Amino acid sequence: MLISRKLIDIISSRWMLVCLSICLVLPLAIGSGLVLKSLPLLKKHSFSKLVSSSDWSPSDGQFGFWPFITGSLWVTAIALVICIPLCLLASIYLTQFTPKWMLKAMRPVIDILAGIPSVVYGVWGVLVIVPLVGDTIAPRFHVDSLGYSILAGGLVLAVMSIPYILNMLLEVFRQIPLELGEASLSLGATKWETIKYIFLRKGRPGIFSAFGLGFSKALGETMAVLMVVGNVAQLPTSVFDAGYTLPALIANNYGEMMSIPSYDSALMFGALLLFAIIIAINILSRYIIYKAELI
Amino acid sequence: MKLKVYGILILLFVLNFNGKGPGPRLSKTVSISFSGAFALYPLVQTWAAEYNKTHPDVRFDIQAGGAGKGLTDCLSGVVDVGMFSRELTAEEKAKGVWWLSLCRDAVLPTINARNPYIKQIQARGIKKEEFKAMFVDHTITSWEQLLGLQGGPHRVNIYTRADAAGAADAWASFFGKKQENIKGVGVSGDPGVADAVRKDMNALGYNNTLFVFDAKSGKKMQGIEVAPIDINEDGKIDATEDFYKNLRTFLKAVNDGKFPSPPARSLYFLTKGKTQKKEVLDFFKWVLTDGQKLVDAAGYVPLPKAVINEQLKKLTAN
Amino acid sequence: MTIKRKLEENFFRGLSAIFTLLIVFVLLHIIWSIAQKGISALSWQMITQEPKGGFYLGKEGGILNAIAGSFYLAIAATLLAFVISLPVALFMNIYLIKYRRLLLGIRFFLDVLWGVPSIVYGAFGFVILIYLGLRTSLGAGIITVAVMIAPIMIRAMDEVLKTIPIGLQEAAYSLGSTKTETAYKVFFRQALPGFATAVLLAFGRGIGDSASVLFTAGFTDYTPAKLSDPAATLPLSIFFQLGSPVDEVQNRAYASAIILVFIILAISISARFLSGFSKNNQ
Repeated sequence: MLISRKLIDIISSRWMLVCLSICLVLPLAIGSGLVLKSLPLLKKHSFSKLVSSSDWSPSDGQFGFWPFITGSLWVTAIALVICIPLCLLASIYLTQFTPKWMLKAMRPVIDILAGIPSVVYGVWGVLVIVPLVGDTIAPRFHVDSLGYSILAGGLVLAVMSIPYILNMLLEVFRQIPLELGEASLSLGATKWETIKYIFLRKGRPGIFSAFGLGFSKALGETMAVLMVVGNVAQLPTSVFDAGYTLPALIANNYGEMMSIPSYDSALMFGALLLFAIIIAINILSRYIIYKAELI
Repeated sequence: MKLKVYGILILLFVLNFNGKGPGPRLSKTVSISFSGAFALYPLVQTWAAEYNKTHPDVRFDIQAGGAGKGLTDCLSGVVDVGMFSRELTAEEKAKGVWWLSLCRDAVLPTINARNPYIKQIQARGIKKEEFKAMFVDHTITSWEQLLGLQGGPHRVNIYTRADAAGAADAWASFFGKKQENIKGVGVSGDPGVADAVRKDMNALGYNNTLFVFDAKSGKKMQGIEVAPIDINEDGKIDATEDFYKNLRTFLKAVNDGKFPSPPARSLYFLTKGKTQKKEVLDFFKWVLTDGQKLVDAAGYVPLPKAVINEQLKKLTAN
Repeated sequence: MTIKRKLEENFFRGLSAIFTLLIVFVLLHIIWSIAQKGISALSWQMITQEPKGGFYLGKEGGILNAIAGSFYLAIAATLLAFVISLPVALFMNIYLIKYRRLLLGIRFFLDVLWGVPSIVYGAFGFVILIYLGLRTSLGAGIITVAVMIAPIMIRAMDEVLKTIPIGLQEAAYSLGSTKTETAYKVFFRQALPGFATAVLLAFGRGIGDSASVLFTAGFTDYTPAKLSDPAATLPLSIFFQLGSPVDEVQNRAYASAIILVFIILAISISARFLSGFSKNNQ
């Protein structure tokens, strides 16, 4: 009896260790797999040239990734600029200014926003955001725009990032001890002052990390952005220009990746770039929060 | 309690995989698998359903994943047949692919119905070189420049397919280029381009036949007009070049070879070497004979008689 | 002075209320624009039938293939992820609880994985499929999605387990339980409602994702019968129907989106219900 219990204990703890190793090895496997697939391309062109060149014509063997990198970063930056104040204030409102049931009622709203497939966001973007940018926003700035633009991609992406960022921010504010706020209020501070001086300060690492994770979510988003961003492999000169993002590049061309020499290798290099950028951003934002947790 | 619920869920799930229910399955069932172009998927699906009415013992397994994936799958032997929506390149032919033409499809240059110069454009037509100058070189950038008029300028806004597509390749090869050479706003899918052209007064794009003409009424889709091709390059659209009135007249022009090819293109089935599977060959034969009747409804153009005979010969030859 | 403070207070209170309303408005606007197009195409037939021949050209049929495909894929992937995640989460909170830095490192790693976009998983899966000469299939899709949602599930379970007091663990040991028994009998039971929420959240992620299955599960009109069959999924079915020239088919795409939103709403509400239940229990 005791022996079998001991045995089960040993087997089970080994199994746990195996599972953990799988989880830890996996990203390394993905990373090295992508590197392996990109090697043929890296043998022909130097890394720095691939990343800095803007000439994208696969049939002539020219693979410049700079337009896709800038396009991705532009779209993501716009999305975050819109999304951050929106989510920050909304999460403050929901946790501080309203009764609890409001927050409860908001949960399904957030979940639905997170759950709507990106294709649907894309369609909504084409129906609503593209004309909004082309016919209303661009003329305000006296710019000629067709609507399919970096800005449209950023706006759609902002909407899509809301549920992720908002969810994390709500969590951040929920974890700040109530007593802190009460102490500040009893000293005569207004509610807003309490938020500004106590909550925002106390929650700063969490807020940063939420934005970091939001950034990686936004950078990797594919279908919706693809449908509104214009997909032109050029260096955008303004937010009203069309652009192209890394995920869109992969999704648009994967079906044909076997037809042109080095094309498959190039697309996998694109995936590798995406992977590397996201890992870097993640590490940075997580580092901030762990640093804070350790203190 | 909850564990029980999960247990039941798992059980249901596992049971589901023990074949397709209790019904008796024909032991002689043969499966034919397809993989490839999204463009062909609806048509092949229709063919399969119709073919099953007379041949219930064939199970079709059709999946879409892009023309290139179809070629890869068929060469590596994971499917019987690849569905292909563009011309094979010389390298691809060298890999030992056997192909069969199924039907034809035409890509049309499209403009917005509210284009300020719609009358002039339709009377004058656009030459091949002019299309190239607008789509690829960007040496013609306004409608006025194209027509030799003063005023405006109304910029020509080019829309192209963002996703790798047979239609885009067919249109680009009309002026000897590739999809990646077309410089314009990339929109996702045929409906995307059609929508963009419908909304933008100065748009110039291209679409597959069924996105220009309504399959039911045969009339042009609302808001979209064809930019007629000046085939003989005489500076005007004469009677022999004017066949865009409705779907019927247009398909007839493609069939008669009046509409140039490309942008008219063929759609193909591919096999690795010529297939020896009898059921596949039977199906191919049916596609070329009875199957051709279903081609219209899917918006494609049936093959001309001469081509069909040629393909049938290819089928029976060894 | 006080007037200024009062003003600032009211200004930000108002602004944050407006922003919250804006988010709700955007959601309603999206739902409204889908519903407007899709409601007319919504029918019983949509969810009870597979596409018939010519479905994408406006003929009869439904999207049962995609609904079934999505459920099979998401359920199997969730189960698979669960089998991996549960031991990992328990291991972290029972065996590694003393090694604080190592634990931090693992959590850090899992969080990084959480951010990897699904298209990278999809592209990676696709390369492996081609390398092995395999077709896209339900099985490949399941594995890809399981790999994608496992880090989410582990971290969600981890958060639940973190809240269990260490005293409980010590009490179990002192009564003579082995670590495994403590893990599965004491911790598991204690955390069950929280786990259910974690599982449902991961399930929701799995059912709504399109970029990873685009590459690995393929698309077909049949309801899959084996793991080696290709499988359609709802998001891809929506994308595919949107590509049709026929208006009715495009409307059906929106109807499919409504169905998907309903599924997600159901998952969300049950997950919230379960987590509420878990809080009341403790």
